[in-house]
Amino acid sequence: MNRGFFWILKALLSHYWRHPWQSLFLVLGLVAGVSLWSAVQIINQQAEASYRQAQNLLGAQASYWIRSRQDQGIDEAFYIQLRREGFREVYPLVELEVSTPQAQSISIIATDLVALPEDLFEETQDGEDFSERWLKFIQPPYRSWVPAQLADELGLKEGERLLLRDGRSLPPALIQSREQQGRRVFIDIAAAFSLSGTRSFSYLAVAAIKPAQLARLRAWLPDQLELVENQQQFDLQQLTESLHTHLSAMSLLSFAVGLFIVFNAVRFSLWYRRATLFKLRLMGCDQRQLLLAILLETLLWSLVGSLLGFLCGIVLAQLLLPGLGASLHSLYAASIDTVLQLDAITLLQAWCISLIGLLWALAWPLYRLLRLPALTAADSSDFMHSEALARNRLALASILLALLAWFYFGRIQTTTEGFILLGLILFSAAWMLPSLLAGALRLLGQMLPQRFLLTRWMVSDGWSQLPALRSAMMALLLAFTANIGVGILVDSFRGAFVDWLSVRQSADIYLSNTQLDYERLVSDGLSDEWLVHSSERIGVSTRWGGRPALIRGADTLAPDSLAFPLSKWQGDSAAEALQSWREKPATVLINEQLHFLAGVQIGDQIELESDYGAQKYDVVGIFYDYGNPYFQFYLPRQALAKHWKHYYSRGIALWLNKDNEQAMQQAEASLKALGAQPGDWIMQAQIRRLSVGIFDRTFAITAAMNLLTMIIAAIALFASLLAILQERLPQFAQWRALGLRQYEQLLLVATPLLIFSAIVWLAAIPLGSLLGWVLIDKLNVISFGWSMPLLWQAGPALQLAGVMLLIIVLALLSVSIQWRRQLPRALARLGEAI
Amino acid sequence: MLTIKSLCKSYRADAGLKVLDNLDFAMQKSSSVALLGESGSGKSTLLHLIAGLDRVDSGEIDLGEYRIHADSESRLAEMRRSDVSLVFQQFHLIATLTVADNIRFQAALCRRFDADYEALLVERLGLAAQLHKLPQQLSRGQQQRVAIARALLHKPELVLADEPTGNLDEQSSLEVMALFSELVSLAGSSLLMVTHSKAMAAFMDRRVLLHNGQLSEIE
Repeated sequence: MNRGFFWILKALLSHYWRHPWQSLFLVLGLVAGVSLWSAVQIINQQAEASYRQAQNLLGAQASYWIRSRQDQGIDEAFYIQLRREGFREVYPLVELEVSTPQAQSISIIATDLVALPEDLFEETQDGEDFSERWLKFIQPPYRSWVPAQLADELGLKEGERLLLRDGRSLPPALIQSREQQGRRVFIDIAAAFSLSGTRSFSYLAVAAIKPAQLARLRAWLPDQLELVENQQQFDLQQLTESLHTHLSAMSLLSFAVGLFIVFNAVRFSLWYRRATLFKLRLMGCDQRQLLLAILLETLLWSLVGSLLGFLCGIVLAQLLLPGLGASLHSLYAASIDTVLQLDAITLLQAWCISLIGLLWALAWPLYRLLRLPALTAADSSDFMHSEALARNRLALASILLALLAWFYFGRIQTTTEGFILLGLILFSAAWMLPSLLAGALRLLGQMLPQRFLLTRWMVSDGWSQLPALRSAMMALLLAFTANIGVGILVDSFRGAFVDWLSVRQSADIYLSNTQLDYERLVSDGLSDEWLVHSSERIGVSTRWGGRPALIRGADTLAPDSLAFPLSKWQGDSAAEALQSWREKPATVLINEQLHFLAGVQIGDQIELESDYGAQKYDVVGIFYDYGNPYFQFYLPRQALAKHWKHYYSRGIALWLNKDNEQAMQQAEASLKALGAQPGDWIMQAQIRRLSVGIFDRTFAITAAMNLLTMIIAAIALFASLLAILQERLPQFAQWRALGLRQYEQLLLVATPLLIFSAIVWLAAIPLGSLLGWVLIDKLNVISFGWSMPLLWQAGPALQLAGVMLLIIVLALLSVSIQWRRQLPRALARLGEAI
Repeated sequence: MLTIKSLCKSYRADAGLKVLDNLDFAMQKSSSVALLGESGSGKSTLLHLIAGLDRVDSGEIDLGEYRIHADSESRLAEMRRSDVSLVFQQFHLIATLTVADNIRFQAALCRRFDADYEALLVERLGLAAQLHKLPQQLSRGQQQRVAIARALLHKPELVLADEPTGNLDEQSSLEVMALFSELVSLAGSSLLMVTHSKAMAAFMDRRVLLHNGQLSEIE
């Protein structure tokens, strides 16, 4: 870089030094856009890393699992027999879920370390004091091997025992992290037996095994055990893919809104510096050097923006991750490490997108400015004239995008394609907006009577403000649309989910302990008149169409079965279809996921692999199954029990006698009398609270994104108003000199702003509704395989109007503060030549 | 040094109206010429054409090694950077740079910065106390002095000035003009200055009148 070039760069950059607000808005735009994008990238990468880690967890890295078909666990004696038979690849695992008195859920995993395959065993060794620790670990009072991060969260120190909710406690803590452990507490199998009170394993894991040995093992297994190929990693990625795609798309939308600020800031910076550029050209700087200098400047901004944006993204990810991690755990049983692992590639990508964004924003205005002869480049009238041209070009591009979206609409197959469609719709609307605003100004100008001179002036001033407000209004439209659209999605989902819960979870108590004397509990309940109905929930886990699936056996006369929420049915009514399901043999109800993702239709005959060979069932109804990532079939209980001898109980639902005020206390007393522990059952209110909690947590990230997008749009508006103020200060000073009062001047700025914002708000309502509809009826169905009725409410749109007014009032307040500072100076310079 | 032959220029908006019509002109090295004429006679247009800011319709403009009517934009930029300086009524200072930076700017661009000469110019123009200020903090007379210092620091072949004192009062104009012509001579540059004022024109070696697209010498 020669010295001459340095001076050009210095002249260009000095503009930002002297106008720190513009620098701030440019950086804010970049930071706001990049931060949300980076946060989501970090979260997605974290999730992917955790899924990969899940594969390394003890047991999960096994090639096969041996499980009880009835979910009854595996006897220790059977395992010993297996080892004696020479199946050295097999090792036992116990998995327990316990909770602290503060209701923090802890996963415990235990294995027989002596029996671990050698390669796995070696990986767990570390440090010189290993043998000493090892002995402590396998001898009473044992040790709980707690990952450092979890210990931090629990406030657990080395050697302390973690107290559990039921009063028991874990062995003394040994705080140490192992990749195989994830977030789980690792204890010796003997300690796990004493904790669970039974000497059975959750399942057996089979390490790498030769085909012949595998065949021998398969033949050797008794009927009640099954050998299952480990597909956990595949399943996790498959199940969570759409959620991560949704997050990425939302972050890109925020980035797009941020880009409008950048676009605004870049345009303004060029607009303000047109005189400087003209002077530089007068002094002999050629276009190539100017271009190079501006590109270098862009590079600097992109570095600053992406670095700061990335740092904010880390903070944001840290804030959002625990909630999202909890949701992923609840929905998909996926654990996400909440200690961020940062990747330089994400930073590089953040830099790339900010650079691309800046170049995109810069390309056209810079091309125009440098293409013009030096004398005309400084002429503002040409710049204003170009606004009309730019508006027309944007409108044309908008029409093209709309046509493309229309053509694309019926052809989308994947989530990514769905988001491309949304992008087309949103950008088409945003690019049409300037013409819409200009049209409104024209129309208002024609409609206002001649005698309202001041009002006509205020409206007509909109033409002067439109170029500066154009990008900010587009950003505001995108933000409002996203807000309304995503709001409709979340409200619809919440409404549908809560309704669905009230039907599907109508029982008062859900008992999860399957070891209780169920028949005695029911007979006691009926005779003591606290119970009116009970239903044992049984099921079989399987795979269908390449995805994990559950076949459920339902009591067809249970209250929840009688009111199954069907979305499609065979015959004239849902009730008729449910009656067929109850009465006709070989009929099945399927969830929407099977309908939308696997294409199963009403009237289709499907085949389910049972213990007695393939069984055929006619689909008579499709039920809503919100948020479930699995395929689900509902058969009458008897049908399931008949064909799947190894079904397992998923618990018992109890409907209490509403007339008996003491029913709840009596039920709890009976449960305790039969040996149930607190935590073995859950009340309806609790389960609903839990479900709605999971729901709200899942959508907390959406709310955060919406808020951030609104903030970005508000910044764009502030930046534009300040730009208007700066640019037109001499004009405002002239008007003030003519006797215009401050409030009249404020009205002059406010009137077009209010007109534009009102149009944006009005446009955002149908557009947001369209977005909501596409999200619900297209994207949700394609991504997750379930649909829901669209719930439109006026409340959120009105709230948004309130937010909009607040932003405008704040923006105008900042304008009037700036006026107080700058107008006297501008008045003093009125007589001077420009 | 500067030779103009058969120069024609008409405005696109007024097709057919030739502002400059077969104009011929020549100027010697280190000389000064005042260009007079009525408003709209094409004085500024001629200056812009010589500076390569506008393109000729026909004719030739040669300045030393530059063939201004035919050279590329980048070659003309190089010419403006090194050999032609412009001084306008509007000063055209870079508002975000200090006075010192503005003075050095063009000399730094063409790598002809001479600190001693800068000190001399600053001293002669009375700008020593203003160096760290921004242009808008100066009076118009001071701003014009900064523009003159910037235009002369790299000792260009030709200085083109368009009503350089048009923004100043009569007393300031005379002071600035006297300094300007003295410093142009000191720099060894030629000066072609557009002016309405006969008083200003009196500072120049020659005076030419632009009328009906043609130049004629006047006494």
